[in-house]
Amino acid sequence: MDHFDEFSRPLEYLSPLDKHLRTVLRTYIEQEIMPLRRRYDEDWKEHTLIEPAFDKIMGELGLQKALFPQEYGGWGLAGSDYIFRFAYQLCEELGRADTGMAVALAVTFWPLLVIHLEPYVNERLIAEFAPMFCSTNKAVFAANAMTEPQGGSDIENMGLLKGRTIRTTARQEGDQWVINGHKLWPTNSGGTARLFGVPCTTRPGSADIDDFAFIYVPADAKGVTQGGPYEKAGMAADKNGDIWFDDVRVPAWYRAHGPGRDAGAFYQLISFGQVASTAFLTGAMMNMYERLYEFVSTRTYRNRPLKENEAVAGIIGRIAGDIDICRILGHEAAMMGDRRNKPYGLPLVSEELVGKIRNIKDFVSDRAVENLGKAMDVLGCYGPDRDWDIEKHWRDIKIIQLWMGGKQLCQMESARYFFNCETL
Amino acid sequence: MNRSLDYLFGTAVGDRGEDAQGVISLVRQWAEKEVIGNRLDYQRNYAVLFEEKARVLALSMGLQRLALPEDQGGFGWHDPGHVADVAAVLSEVGRADSSTGVLLTMNYALFSILTRFSEGREGLVEAMTASYLDDGLKITSCVLPGPGSAGRETPLYKGRSIPALVESRDSGSTLSGANIRPFAAGLRADLFLAVCADEKGRPCIALVPGDKPGIQRGREVLTTGLNALANADISFVETEITRESLIQEPEAVPMLFTLLNLFLGGVSLGAGMNFFEILGDWSHSRVIRGSTPLKENPLCASVLADVAEDIACSRLLLEDLARLVSPSPRAWSLDTEGLYTYAVMIGARIQKGIMRAINRGMELMGSAGYAKEWHAEKHWRDVKTIQSLLCGVGAAAPVKMDTARFFYDCKEI
Ligand SMILES: Cc1cc2nc3c(=O)[nH]c(=O)nc-3n(C[C@H](O)[C@H](O)[C@H](O)COP(=O)(O)OP(=O)(O)OC[C@H]3O[C@@H](n4cnc5c(N)ncnc54)[C@H](O)[C@@H]3O)c2cc1C
Ligand SMILES: Cc1cc2nc3c(=O)[nH]c(=O)nc-3n(C[C@H](O)[C@H](O)[C@H](O)COP(=O)(O)OP(=O)(O)OC[C@H]3O[C@@H](n4cnc5c(N)ncnc54)[C@H](O)[C@@H]3O)c2cc1C
Repeated sequence: MDHFDEFSRPLEYLSPLDKHLRTVLRTYIEQEIMPLRRRYDEDWKEHTLIEPAFDKIMGELGLQKALFPQEYGGWGLAGSDYIFRFAYQLCEELGRADTGMAVALAVTFWPLLVIHLEPYVNERLIAEFAPMFCSTNKAVFAANAMTEPQGGSDIENMGLLKGRTIRTTARQEGDQWVINGHKLWPTNSGGTARLFGVPCTTRPGSADIDDFAFIYVPADAKGVTQGGPYEKAGMAADKNGDIWFDDVRVPAWYRAHGPGRDAGAFYQLISFGQVASTAFLTGAMMNMYERLYEFVSTRTYRNRPLKENEAVAGIIGRIAGDIDICRILGHEAAMMGDRRNKPYGLPLVSEELVGKIRNIKDFVSDRAVENLGKAMDVLGCYGPDRDWDIEKHWRDIKIIQLWMGGKQLCQMESARYFFNCETL
Repeated sequence: MNRSLDYLFGTAVGDRGEDAQGVISLVRQWAEKEVIGNRLDYQRNYAVLFEEKARVLALSMGLQRLALPEDQGGFGWHDPGHVADVAAVLSEVGRADSSTGVLLTMNYALFSILTRFSEGREGLVEAMTASYLDDGLKITSCVLPGPGSAGRETPLYKGRSIPALVESRDSGSTLSGANIRPFAAGLRADLFLAVCADEKGRPCIALVPGDKPGIQRGREVLTTGLNALANADISFVETEITRESLIQEPEAVPMLFTLLNLFLGGVSLGAGMNFFEILGDWSHSRVIRGSTPLKENPLCASVLADVAEDIACSRLLLEDLARLVSPSPRAWSLDTEGLYTYAVMIGARIQKGIMRAINRGMELMGSAGYAKEWHAEKHWRDVKTIQSLLCGVGAAAPVKMDTARFFYDCKEI
């Protein structure tokens, strides 16, 4: 194999943007991110190095506009039939360099998709938020604030719990929503985001999806307080912290769609998040392959290149084989998302699609966690060395296995579909 | 948790002398009072507090003297009869902080080797002991055989490249080798315990004071874990070493590997035990599905069981390995080669087991497992670092080759 691009993916699945985006994005990434990424860990709090890189790819290159319709200055991709595959490619390319950056960008799309994706489109809110993202050359972030102190998994476990455990409340007073609650961990919190999408409940303790509300809150609204970023094992480019909503008032029409429809639009997000997560992982693994290739070709055991030793070859062959398989699966997951509007596709909220995509993400996360760990071991005393990049990916991607409701929730949603479990 | 780690995981308490029990319980108190009880502070000011707490342990409490010869003021735990106790002590240290455990491991390995091959080196033993009895915290850095570079043939230790070469001179020898990556702590090492090759390509050990002329240190390497033990690539440029500080006895290098596998198994086990405690608290207090304690969910319970199983089995393996290494009329006797093979094989298994336990346990902790505040992630990074360093290049492939060679009499691998 001559190049990491040769890892398999169904070529007929590629989006029309694939070639162009790959060329432009890769150049940006190799110029702006790769040379500095080894210093990102120490930059977790200030983002002195990270912020300018975001400005380049999100603001200057304009990726943050991608979802918005062209009439608002966007690229109109949310309305295309390849938004999942576009996102996959974007997240894989960025994930190759830095999965923390990839998640910060993908999560900016996340709450915005709630008002963009058919059949849940809210033109008024699109028009309201478009200028924030489309009329600037600086990076602008959004966050999807689901997780609460008592637990994130339950909130994502919509199929079973239907929002019953959400404690953040929304109360309507005249033409305003009044929001109270405490969220933590959202990507792009810790002072980064300008806009939050906030899943909340209009009747605490209710398992009626009509009581689930998805409401947009500008970060500078009165009553919003944010804590500083948490220090984490990795993913320095993503800031995560606490957000308190204390009698925060927003216009009534900042609710995404209204009773029942909010839950549907929100549930669509889960699969998008899982597809993006899979793309971060294959991107990181492809970069692991590049670095591993160099190591096993130039370093020796018994004075022969490591890759020429059968025992080592057995290990690295399996690693590369797994990447190949995972990439095919990732593209399949993205395609499942893009088939949603086709006669032979499934709605994003169907149990089958949710279960299958969660399963793919779970499978690929396990492969990534194991293979990056193994690759570190192949490097031996150089495995924990930042200069070889593999350890960074190993630290960064562990959370991909744990977020969005955790690994066990993936297993449950998959069992629920494949075995028709009724109580899990 | 209402049951003690000792009750849950058991120890060979019966085999342990009173002295050993005393030291172990003192170290446990240190771990709990100085580190575990102040985790947040320790994490936030790691560089400073590591040094401070390691000094308390090594100097005020005397752990730096543990493996020094008794007749010179040490505790005399350098002999094979004490390896199980040393491993147990290191587990207690590892429960608090793996870097401190690795620091002590290197010192203990040094004195175990030095005293084992003390014949004709009495002066050296005396001088080294005196310097480690001194007031300062001493850092020993091991240089082990590892990956070679393509196109540059080196002498081998069981397939692994030996990076430093010794050349004899009239008055002693010189050591040469460029850009060598020590196991850990190379940047500020007071002494290098370097595996090198003599002129016939035979593996031996050189003891090189860190302030010798001809030692060049590269910039600090940023690493996944063991962050308190700043490392750097080292070049020996015709560094002079005395005749007695070159240990050429054939058993020396296998013995070093044997001890490192045992002692570092102890350190990682300790880290695993503390992770077990953190996970235990979490699974007891965290609620999922609105009202179910995490540990009462059968799927989560099965992950918890896997974690406990890996830690328990690693602990049993460690005790067995310690028993093999200590001379006992009851033990089945292995030669140096056999012992070496068992040590690397079990050592790799312990690291893998603890790593798997932490990796899986983190699955249940969501974001908390990933936040520095919860400390689970530190054990994860530290143990992974020890595992990658110890098992060697090729993802334990060299250990597999050692094992196959011993059990199947392979000749060419
Ligand atoms: C880098 C990073 C980025 C993040 N980004 C976001 C974001 O953009 N938005 C956001 O809202 N949150 C975000 N999070 C939070 C993350 O999604 C949550 O941590 C995650 O969903 C798990 O929630 P929790 O930590 O509260 O764990 P809990 O919900 O307490 O779950 C703990 C564990 O319980 C188990 N479990 C849970 N439910 C079940 C079940 N039904 N059956 C069996 N076992 C179960 C799982 O093992 C789970 O890991 C992020 C976190 C990090 C670290
Ligand atoms: C049910 C069944 C159906 C079969 N059907 C057919 C059939 O239709 N046609 C047919 O021709 N044969 C058939 N076979 C035979 C089968 O394909 C061979 O057994 C197989 O190819 C291995 O060959 P071998 O048994 O001669 O083992 P060997 O070739 O002696 O190999 C032994 C082992 O050595 C190892 N090895 C070999 N080469 C390497 C290498 N380069 N590097 C590292 N390790 C290596 C492998 O682990 C291998 O398993 C069948 C066997 C069975 C049991």
